[in-house]
Amino acid sequence: MKKIFTQGIIIIVLFFSTWFVLRQVNWMTFFKIHKVANKTEEKLGELFWDIFEKSEKENINPFVASSIDSIVTKICSENDINKQTIKVHLFDKDEINAFALPNGHLLIYSGLVLASDNQEELSGVICHEIAHIQLNHVMKKLIKEVGLSVLISMTTGQGGTEIIKETAKLLSSSAFDRSLEKEADIKAIEYLINAKINPEPFANFLYKLSQNEHEAMKYLSWTNTHPASKERAEYIIEYSKNKKTKYEPILSMDTWGKLKEKLKE
Amino acid sequence: MINVTKFIYEPGEHEAEKASNSYLMSLIALIAGLPLPIINLLATLIFYLGNRKGTYFVRWHCTQALLSQLSVLFINSYGFWWTVSIIFTSQSVTNNYIAYIIAAIIFNLTEFIATIYTAIQTRKGIHVEWWFYGSLSNLICKSES
Repeated sequence: MKKIFTQGIIIIVLFFSTWFVLRQVNWMTFFKIHKVANKTEEKLGELFWDIFEKSEKENINPFVASSIDSIVTKICSENDINKQTIKVHLFDKDEINAFALPNGHLLIYSGLVLASDNQEELSGVICHEIAHIQLNHVMKKLIKEVGLSVLISMTTGQGGTEIIKETAKLLSSSAFDRSLEKEADIKAIEYLINAKINPEPFANFLYKLSQNEHEAMKYLSWTNTHPASKERAEYIIEYSKNKKTKYEPILSMDTWGKLKEKLKE
Repeated sequence: MINVTKFIYEPGEHEAEKASNSYLMSLIALIAGLPLPIINLLATLIFYLGNRKGTYFVRWHCTQALLSQLSVLFINSYGFWWTVSIIFTSQSVTNNYIAYIIAAIIFNLTEFIATIYTAIQTRKGIHVEWWFYGSLSNLICKSES
């Protein structure tokens, strides 16, 4: 009896040690898994970007572009994010919305900039979207919602344009999982604090939008798709309460005012 | 790992065939139901239940075939559900997962080869006792005499 027991234990130990030994090999590089995943993401990013580029009007005003770029560059440089990986685009559209596409495309609607009372509010939303990109939420969401096989068929050109359009719509007008949203919010606060931007206005922005008082409420999309804004505002305040940082603005008041004026034109 | 020993009596031609079939059963089921780890276990279990009243040699080998399926069942089920969670949830392929699947393949392959070898030997009436499973079968399966 004792002998059988020992033999059984040996078999179990043998399995786990085989697993342990095999774990020492870097299979991800061996099978080039990251490379394949990156290629798929790159291809998808191009596909979706094409759709938005064709259907919507991109704002190419150099002053607007450089102002938004200053904010993004500051956030990236203070957080060790490679700025080259984040491709920011601004569209002229009244909708208050910003969202991320695969391969680091970050799309901002002018409605969002106009609805922000100050640059900190806008920076908060940008940080939140950059966090989604950095935490690979975009691909996670796509795999969950449409499935890997459909995504791969899109990249090989077998997916119909309708499917691609529908999926693009999914990215622009629906939220991530609650847990992913919270993860992105917390990461966004970290980014804001590192970039010496006060996170409180970001919380206020969410709070304000949840109050249904804002004049642009009819266009509200970013908070419609991001549920329970009030709750989010509360934990953002809670999380950023004990951080003692001296905050400084990225754009001068003058530039910020001019940016909004340019967008109103 | 595999021990060829003398059985307490010389099994007849008919017994050898039946005993060998118990191993073949698990092999066929393994090929048929590869993605679902439970199928080969069920097949051997049905064969085992059908031969409970068989001769000692047949019963003994049915028991060993059934027991050998149990350990791979655990390994494969875990691997199966891990794969399902990667496909349908937000979990992604990790180094850990690939290592597990390779370990599982090695164990399944070893079991597969051992099963083929044993099926051939038992067909010739040679009694083959596996390491651990053989002793366990001795414990469970007792001669009626």
